[in-house]
Amino acid sequence: MRYGYSGKILRVDLATHRVWTETLSEEFYRLYPGGKALAAAILLKELAPGVDPLGPGNILILANGLLTGAPFSTATRFSAVARSPLTGGFGESEAGGFWGPELKLAGWEAIVMTGRSAEPVYLWIRDDQVEIRDARHLWRHDPEEAQAVIRQETGEKLARVLQIGLGAENLVRYGCMTNELRHFNGRSGMGAVMGSKHVKAVAVRGSGRYLDAAAEAPPLGDLGRRLAKAVKEHPSSWDLQVRGTPGLTAGLDAAGILPTRNFRQGSFEGVDGLRWETYEKELLSGRRSCFACAVRCKREVKVDDRYEVSDSYGGPEYETIAGFGSNCGVDDLQAVAKANELCNRYTMDSISASSAISFAMECFEHGLIGPRDTGGLDLRFGNAEAMVACVEMIARREHIGDLLAEGARRAAEAIGGDAPLFAMHVKGQELPMHDPRGKVGVGLGYAINEAGADHLTAVHDPMLANPESLGFKGAQPLGITEALPPRELSARKAANYARMENWNSFERAIGLCFFGPTPRSFIPVDDVLTAVTAASGWEVSAEELLRIGERATNLARLFNVREGFTRGDDTLPERLFQPLENGALAGASIPREEFEQAMTALYQLKGWDPLTTVPTRERLAELELEWAADLVGVPRGQ
Amino acid sequence: MTMRVHLGGHLSWYDPGKRAWLEFAEPGPIALLELVRRLGVPPAEIAVATVNRRAVDLETAVAGDEDTVEFFTAVGGG
Repeated sequence: MRYGYSGKILRVDLATHRVWTETLSEEFYRLYPGGKALAAAILLKELAPGVDPLGPGNILILANGLLTGAPFSTATRFSAVARSPLTGGFGESEAGGFWGPELKLAGWEAIVMTGRSAEPVYLWIRDDQVEIRDARHLWRHDPEEAQAVIRQETGEKLARVLQIGLGAENLVRYGCMTNELRHFNGRSGMGAVMGSKHVKAVAVRGSGRYLDAAAEAPPLGDLGRRLAKAVKEHPSSWDLQVRGTPGLTAGLDAAGILPTRNFRQGSFEGVDGLRWETYEKELLSGRRSCFACAVRCKREVKVDDRYEVSDSYGGPEYETIAGFGSNCGVDDLQAVAKANELCNRYTMDSISASSAISFAMECFEHGLIGPRDTGGLDLRFGNAEAMVACVEMIARREHIGDLLAEGARRAAEAIGGDAPLFAMHVKGQELPMHDPRGKVGVGLGYAINEAGADHLTAVHDPMLANPESLGFKGAQPLGITEALPPRELSARKAANYARMENWNSFERAIGLCFFGPTPRSFIPVDDVLTAVTAASGWEVSAEELLRIGERATNLARLFNVREGFTRGDDTLPERLFQPLENGALAGASIPREEFEQAMTALYQLKGWDPLTTVPTRERLAELELEWAADLVGVPRGQ
Repeated sequence: MTMRVHLGGHLSWYDPGKRAWLEFAEPGPIALLELVRRLGVPPAEIAVATVNRRAVDLETAVAGDEDTVEFFTAVGGG
């Protein structure tokens, strides 16, 4: 008997407009219980090596986790996975909101899209009924308008719409997807892949109830009620509810690791213009949540002042505030909010877009590009108007925007000279707004992550630095035993990172938000175990859950190995090995030799060859991944 | 002659009024550790302390009248 999941995958061949259903076995699903894990297994099995990420041969997978749509806080996430047009490697991005849960309630665990439609289309899914509909009239229309038309055409006011806007349609390599206009699969260019397949949207309406499919409904119902109350009783989740991620800015500046002027500096003299108090005064219009989530970490903004900012596309998160704020030398939060609105309207990842612009500003100041390249923009650090105009240029692929739409790495290669030194990326994906010079475990994560630099691969070092802290105590049930200073770069730090990476990878598989489980937030490990067991009927341990995460990461690693990635790709931008110019950590850098030693230790902990980064047969066998070892041709007797 | 104190991030959860900014009239020189004890904030939750925007050592720093003291939590990602 199957509990907590339908086992059904919707297959869509866009070239022929054929749809069919595939059913997963329980044995398979327990190893890959959705999200990143399920999608990575499918992608590795089915995608031929070397396929053009923006060609019809790529496969786009949208996958729920076992717990997506369960009626308790933070069980909202789904994964988008494909070969990334930004990195050429494993691409993944998770989003919350309402679309994943709705797909679950319609009876589907995942959608696998292959081929390319000759004309723009959208998918309309009502429970087990699936249609591919003409979307030519929606192409190049803003998401707000497209969503309204789709709801009108389907006659479903509550249809949940996952879609792309102009940037992804124009194949900006960091084009993303949005659902409900406010929730984003931001990273890895998954929206660009959707655009390349001429899919404008996937609309869904389900009539199921999660609890009807669960092995035991009462524990899940009880958990939902307890967690709704617990949000206000735990400091971390309470803070997420009150301020959300915009509350992080001032603390990172004080710590000396607020990325400023393209990561040259760690403190921004204009931080008062960006901190929470200013956000609350100048932008905030409300708070929203994801499906059934009491955390309510989403901010709503509306501005009619120096800039006009629509309240339809959500407010800037910390990443966007630092990206378009301090990292572009801009202290005007209204300009940041406008840039955020444009990224969201045009469905472009705001981390990559802001980083590409910051890169261009440094190139401009060094004379590597000039006004003739920028369409006349004086694209210097601190020029808020030029920054906002540049976002428009990227979406429309005009002037310098056409180059920046390719991502900072490709833009730097085209510009030449010193430009590659200014491109802050790993594997082609731009750095998030957390400077590893102040928390070096984050640097290990940026370097080793298969999708490129990502700040959500593991909880950050400072949360595990004090043995008396809530974060450290929350991580102990996951096997964390040593509290380590944020700047300690060692084999011990690599061990902590590896453990926490497995946990976060598990969260991405099962459908839980980073802001739910411990140690980042308020849901203890025991409650996660309760949820998995009540949903599926499986008796599970924390070790089994960690293995799910590790298995998913190994699949992603094998994908990259097959695409030709090497240890040389697992590194950091040169600038991070250089000293910060100002702030509380002025002069701090990542010591290169210690970094390489810690990476070697990390490969060994993972059971990967430190020279090639290829997982050993032995470790793959322990993870029940012999099939993947055979598929990729992992040598025997390594 | 007042001292302004900021409880950043989730530190304000520990204040009974959930205030992020507090003011103290004529507190005189006070060790930061004593200050957080009076505020009921667990020192283990404080990752960064500043006095007048300069990062200081929580264990040894002292603040006084007209100072602005800010405490921040560890940032775990997001």
